[in-house]
Amino acid sequence: MRFSRKALGIPYGIFLLLFVAAPLAVLFYYAFTNGSGQFTFRNLTGFFTDANTLGTLFYSFALAFVTTVVCLLIAYPTAYFLAHSRLKSKSVMIMLFIMPMWINFSLRITALKELLTMIEGNLACYPFLNSVLGMTYDFLPFMILPIYNVLTRLDQSLVEAAKDLGANNTRTFLKVTLPLSMPGVMSGVMMVFLPAMTNYVVLDMLYNSTYIMGSLIGSYFSAYNWHGGSMISLILLGIICLFTLLTDTDKEENVRGGTLL
Amino acid sequence: MRKAKLLSGIILSGILAFSGLTAVPAAAADEEIVLRIASWEDYIDLGGWEEDEVIDLESGDIFAENSLTDDFEDWYEETYGRKVRVEYSTFGTNEDLYNMLTLGDVFDLVCPSEYMIMKLIAEDQLVPLSDDFFDEDGEYNYYIQGVSPYIRNIFETHEINGEYWNKYAAGYMWGVTGFVYNPEVVSREDASTWHLFEKEEISRQITVKDNVRDTYFAAVGALKSDLLLSDDFRNADDYPERLLEEMNDTSPETIAAVQEYLQTIKDNLYSFETDSGVSDMVSGKVAANFQWSGDGVFILDLADDVDYYLEYAVPEEVTNVYFDGWVMLKSGISQDPAKQHAAEAFINYVSRPDNVIRNMYYIGYTSVISAAEDGRVFEYADWCYGAEEDEEDTVDYPVGHFFTDDAEEAEDYVITAPADQLKRQLFAQYPSEEVLDRACIMVYFDREVNEAANQMWIKVRCFNIADIPVWAWVIAAAVIVLLVTWLIRSRKPFRKAGLPAGKRKNI
Repeated sequence: MRFSRKALGIPYGIFLLLFVAAPLAVLFYYAFTNGSGQFTFRNLTGFFTDANTLGTLFYSFALAFVTTVVCLLIAYPTAYFLAHSRLKSKSVMIMLFIMPMWINFSLRITALKELLTMIEGNLACYPFLNSVLGMTYDFLPFMILPIYNVLTRLDQSLVEAAKDLGANNTRTFLKVTLPLSMPGVMSGVMMVFLPAMTNYVVLDMLYNSTYIMGSLIGSYFSAYNWHGGSMISLILLGIICLFTLLTDTDKEENVRGGTLL
Repeated sequence: MRKAKLLSGIILSGILAFSGLTAVPAAAADEEIVLRIASWEDYIDLGGWEEDEVIDLESGDIFAENSLTDDFEDWYEETYGRKVRVEYSTFGTNEDLYNMLTLGDVFDLVCPSEYMIMKLIAEDQLVPLSDDFFDEDGEYNYYIQGVSPYIRNIFETHEINGEYWNKYAAGYMWGVTGFVYNPEVVSREDASTWHLFEKEEISRQITVKDNVRDTYFAAVGALKSDLLLSDDFRNADDYPERLLEEMNDTSPETIAAVQEYLQTIKDNLYSFETDSGVSDMVSGKVAANFQWSGDGVFILDLADDVDYYLEYAVPEEVTNVYFDGWVMLKSGISQDPAKQHAAEAFINYVSRPDNVIRNMYYIGYTSVISAAEDGRVFEYADWCYGAEEDEEDTVDYPVGHFFTDDAEEAEDYVITAPADQLKRQLFAQYPSEEVLDRACIMVYFDREVNEAANQMWIKVRCFNIADIPVWAWVIAAAVIVLLVTWLIRSRKPFRKAGLPAGKRKNI
């Protein structure tokens, strides 16, 4: 057989089949069957009629939303400053922001736990705040990098043109820089919002005893209810797909320009 | 140990798998028995002790160079002339083990907790232990020769589906539930009742276990406190039976009451923990920690190392006595007598007094083996907790109820210990007879109850949509409206502002 470039895709194809397609099939099977293997929609309707699962969904959304907003408020100015600074140490600065990612995440959260205990006295008094702080600490680099990346590649001639035409700094930023950096913001939002909905380890480690989607799925599995757990995973998957579709407006180029990771 | 120590578990299984592999070529494949064992993480002595860790009992030193599984392989070959290779795996929770089994993992010998053993018996998944195993005259039958009469009695009197536990299960480690507490903040009196969870003085300074069963038991203990403490109930002829019945009450009303109770105390808790309680207790973040006695000993030891004084108490109402035990699985043994023999030999080997001491030293839990005839287990307890000769404030602590069922002999089993040991490690390691009198087991939840209990747990842990305040709904609605309008509006000006995609690249 002649070697073709397509053959290079085989390893990835196998990976995809084994670790993405096959588990998905299993997930679908469990989500739509009951304990005795019969087809059922009960898991689906059960999710949307239970006050607790819906409450958990709401809580996860709220937590993820606040985390994303906080990340964005910190990340955008930082990325903007970094991209526009004339500092020679720019690469050092960006390194400083990426560096936390080299350290194991649970170590970082453990350290944060001690820090917060020193500041707050008793962690258990501010569960929501702590969760937001933990998630922000964890996901901030994922927000900074794509925005920074877009901003450095931003065509300065457009900015200059805007100024030539009489726009002041604020107006230039609002009409030119901000819209053009939206792809980076979008991919940053995606990378923070979705993990923040499920990353229950942060909540566990910082003692927020309220379940979010991730821990809810876990509780179903430890009660041997694989069907309910699979359905919730599937619903999460649906939500992720929906988000991707909604935010992916200016297709190819946005993704290429915005995604670094 | 019930603590989840994933890393050490992985290392452990890695080491064992490796050491097992290297032993393969030595024997012909058809002769070698492969014994697949699954147990808790960090639940067997791994050897490699430092030289100063020697346990210098009068009857001889105890020291571990190799892991207990390696030693077992050597011992089995020497004793029975057949090679055996142990494949040791670990699991983090009973439910994990059960899910592993359901998913098709095959093990010969596993060490789950009592309720999972009951579940496995009920589902007919286990191989009964052979008659030889229970022959007290057998030379190597260390288990039946050494098992504590107290434990043996429990195994012989509790049944599931008309079959007694001891038909299938041999105990390993056991303990009771109670509180580790800081006596400077919590009085011993307060720590001796399940109502401790409600104490506002230690608001957000007390932890509970992050699993339904332990927490359910504690909640029932608090809810039925008055009944459990009443003289009528205590002095009834059928007290043990009634206690068992009351504490295993899983009627819908009780489950609902437990839910309500947990929801009210939830805001008074520091956390629902699985293993963070140990460090939080030692570092002083919490004042009290609902804890299994085995981990209680471990915490007190850790705290002693940093001169932090903690105590252990068992609530007056009732306590949950729990076990982990060895059972053989049908799916693994599959009627292979050689394999069953090796599995039973393994149980006996870890029940040999010197190995029992090695494990207790390493794990911190209390073994079910009392080995009264051999005497070394008691010697070890005395070695650990007995007072030095020049110590002044000492008390005599009787432990005969665990070591023997003979009333006269029991008088020999007294440890003269420093007075504070009555509230500390010795008390947690070997609870007093009076504590064991109010101890009862917790049976397994059948399918229906399990579902109801889990639903209850979800209700306690989840945010109820009905609890969302109006302002939160308003904000949510505003956010959604804003996002949608922005999405729609942003498309038009955005395209106008930029150059067409193709051209922009060329600039």
